[in-house]
Amino acid sequence: MKASGIEMKIRKTLFLAGMLLSLAALAWSQVTYERILNAAHEPQSWLTYSGRYSGWRYSTLDQINAQNASHLTMRWAFQVGDLGQFETTPLVVDGVLYGTGQNDRAFAVDARTGRSIWRYQRNLPDKLQPCCGMVNRGFAILGDRLFMATLDAHVIALDTKTGNVVWDVVAADYHQAYTFTVAPLAVKNEIIVGVSGGEYGIRGFVDAYDATTGKRLWRFDTVPGPGQKGHETWSGDSWKTGGTPAWITGSYDPELNLIYWPTGNPSPSNFGGERNGDNLYSNSMLALDAGTGELKWYFQFTPHDLYDYDATQVAVLLDAEWEGKPRKLLVQANRNGFLYVLDRTNGKFLSAKAFGSVTWATGIDANGRPILNTNLERSGEGNRVCPGALGLTNWFSPSYSPQTNLLYIATSTECDIFTNAPQTYRAGHDFLGSVYVPDPKERPKGSLKALDPLTGAEKWEFKYFSNPNGGVLSTAGGVVFAGESDGNFIALDAKTGKDLWHMQLGAAVYSAAITYQLDGKQYVVIPAGSAMFAFAVGE
Amino acid sequence: MAGNPAAIKEGTSLFRANCSPCHGLNAHGGGRGPDLTSGRWAHGSSDAEIFRTISQGVAGTEMPANGFEDSEIWAIIAYLRSLAPPKNPVISGDRAKGEEIFWEAANCGRCHMVKGRGGLLGPDLSRIGAARSTAYLTDSIRDPDKDLSVGQFDPNNHYGLPLVYDKVTVVTASGEKIVGIAKNEDTFSIQLLDARQRLHLLSKGDLKQVIHERKSMMPAYSEEQLNSADLQDLIAYLVSLQGD
Repeated sequence: MKASGIEMKIRKTLFLAGMLLSLAALAWSQVTYERILNAAHEPQSWLTYSGRYSGWRYSTLDQINAQNASHLTMRWAFQVGDLGQFETTPLVVDGVLYGTGQNDRAFAVDARTGRSIWRYQRNLPDKLQPCCGMVNRGFAILGDRLFMATLDAHVIALDTKTGNVVWDVVAADYHQAYTFTVAPLAVKNEIIVGVSGGEYGIRGFVDAYDATTGKRLWRFDTVPGPGQKGHETWSGDSWKTGGTPAWITGSYDPELNLIYWPTGNPSPSNFGGERNGDNLYSNSMLALDAGTGELKWYFQFTPHDLYDYDATQVAVLLDAEWEGKPRKLLVQANRNGFLYVLDRTNGKFLSAKAFGSVTWATGIDANGRPILNTNLERSGEGNRVCPGALGLTNWFSPSYSPQTNLLYIATSTECDIFTNAPQTYRAGHDFLGSVYVPDPKERPKGSLKALDPLTGAEKWEFKYFSNPNGGVLSTAGGVVFAGESDGNFIALDAKTGKDLWHMQLGAAVYSAAITYQLDGKQYVVIPAGSAMFAFAVGE
Repeated sequence: MAGNPAAIKEGTSLFRANCSPCHGLNAHGGGRGPDLTSGRWAHGSSDAEIFRTISQGVAGTEMPANGFEDSEIWAIIAYLRSLAPPKNPVISGDRAKGEEIFWEAANCGRCHMVKGRGGLLGPDLSRIGAARSTAYLTDSIRDPDKDLSVGQFDPNNHYGLPLVYDKVTVVTASGEKIVGIAKNEDTFSIQLLDARQRLHLLSKGDLKQVIHERKSMMPAYSEEQLNSADLQDLIAYLVSLQGD
C-alpha cells in the first residue's frame, strides 16, 4: 500500500525523532542520587543492586508478560572470558550495561547488542583468600563513576566512560583474608560496602566512602571492641577474631535515613566453645544512620551461631498494615529458616515463621529469640541439623512483587551433619572449627517459593532438581524470573508458579536477573558461567 | 610431628576443611579421591613423599597442588598417620583366577571398564586397587547399596553432576518403564543410560514419573553367587588394578 503524503511526513518526523533519541542516548548522563531514589519510576534503567533502595528486585516493565513469555528468545550474549561463579548484578543506564566479573574483571557493554565499550581487569595479588570463589556481585553507580569493592580489599571508582580508575583506596589487609565481594550501595554522596572473610577470623565492618574523593567517612565495626556496647557478648579475646562479615548489599529508607545492612556468622563458624555469649552483632540486621554510621538499632536473628547462619540476605522494606495499623516493616527470609517481620523504625520483632524444614530451633519466642532444640539428631560424630550450613535460603536475592503481594525466594532442602572442634587462630588461614557435610542419606533439592511476606503462608512452590544459588526478579508483567544450579533460566507465572519458559544456559546460575527497556524493547539479563545472556520477546 | 596431639588436632581440622570434599570426612575415600587409610600409597608412602604429594599435587590426576604452609602439611601428615592402621586382610586370593571370574563367571565387565575393555554403566575400575581398601571392595560386591553417593551439587563443578550410579526408573507417557543410571539430570530433562547401555535423552514433561530408587544399579553378589574363595580371587585381581 502506498503511503499518502501526510503519512510520509509523519513517518519522517518519527524517524527524525528517533534519530534524536538515539543521539541523546550517546551522551553520557549523570546518575544522581535523586535518580536512584526514584528508580521505581525509571524502569528502563537498573540503577542499584536490588533495582531500588527497598530491596524489592521488582520492575514495573510489562512488555514481557505471562501471556508472551513463552516466546522469549536470546538477543545477545557477552563473554567475560573467565570461568567460575558469575555473581554480578549488572547496572543499566542510558543504553549501557555495566557489570563486574570473576577475578575482579569489569566491563561496559552496549545494552542493545552486548558489544563491549571498555573492559577493566584488576591486577590481583597471588595469595587471596575468598572463601567461595573469586567473585564480585556488581557495581554501584553515582554521577559519572562506578564503584567496586575488590577481592584485595580495596574500594575503587572507575570512570563510566572509560573504565579508568579515578580513585583506589585500601579498606583492609588482604593478607589477613579481608576481602570484598559485595556490590556497594550509593546513598547521597556515600559509597557503602561491607567486608567478607567470615571463614578466616577477620573482624568485620561496614564502611562508607566519599564518592568524590574516596576518603573514608565512617566505619561501623560489626564486632564491638573494648568499652563498646555489646563487647561483653564475646568471651575472652574472641572478639578479635569474631568474623561477622557484611557481604550483602544493604537496603535504605530515605525517610528514616537508615541503612539496613545484614551481617554474617561469628568466627569460628562451627565451634562456639571459645566465643561464649551472644556474639553481637553477628547474624544481625543493623540499622545504621546513613550520614554517620551510628547504630540506631539492631536485631540478632541467630545468637551464638554454630551453623554458619549468616543473616546476609537482602532486607525487603514494605509499608503495610500490621494488626490494623500502617507500619514501616522490614521482611527478611533468613538463612536460618525463618521469615522475619520487624518494625524498621525501631527494630521491634513482630513475627517469625519457618518456611521449610527447621530443626536447630523449635520456634522463635515473643522477643524474637530462637528456642533452641536441645535434642538434635546425632549422626556419626556430629549432629544432623536443618537447614544445613548453606541455609534454607542464602545470599541470592529475593524478590517482592506489589502486584501479587508475594515474596519470592529460592530455597534448599539440604540438611548437614555438623562436627565441631576447637581451632587455633592463624592470621590469613581458615578458621572454621571443623566442618559440616551434607547428610549423605538424601540428595539436596531446591525450589522457588512464593510466600505471603507478612504471614509466611506459602502460595506456591516450583521444585528445582538441585539446591539453588540463583535469586529472583519479578515484574509487572506477572512474571518471575529465576535461575537454578543446573543451568536453567526459568520464567514462571507470578500468580501460580506455572513454568512459562526455560532456557538451558550451560552453567549454574549464581546471580539474579535484572530488566531494562531500550528502544521500546524490554530485555531481561542473566549471568551464567562466563557469559551474560539477554532475552526479549517480539521482533 | 607424628603422634603429637596438637599437630593431629590441627591436621584433622585442616584435612576436614580442605581435603575431605574429595577424600571423605574421615579419609576413607570420596567420590573423587582415594581412601587414605588403606595403607596403600600410590604416590609414595614416606613422609617426604606424602609431603610432596600434598604440596605439589599429582600430575595427570585430580589431586591439585596446595598452598599450605610447611607446618600445616606436617600437621596433615600427622593426622593421616594417626588414623587406625588398615584392617586389610591378607590378600589370599589368586589374581589370575580373579581376572577370569571378573570377565566370565561374575560378568563384572558387562558394566565396568578396565583399561579400555568392558561396559559403561558402572565406575571404571582401572585403578580401583590404588583407590579403595579391600574392606570397601568387599562391601561394594556383597552390598552395593551400602555406600551410595548422593550426587549432591559439587561446588567445584558448576557444569554438571558428579558421577552417581543410583538406579533411576522413568515411566513414559505410554507407561513403559526404563531403568538405568542418570548420566545427567536437571529440572526439565534426564539423560538416562539403560541396563543395555542405550542412551535415552528424555524431557521430563513427556514422562509420567522419575523415580530415584536410592539403590545401586549393581546387583548384590551373595555367597551363593560368589563364594568366599571366588570373592578372595576377585579381590586379589581388583587390588592388582593400580592404574599402571
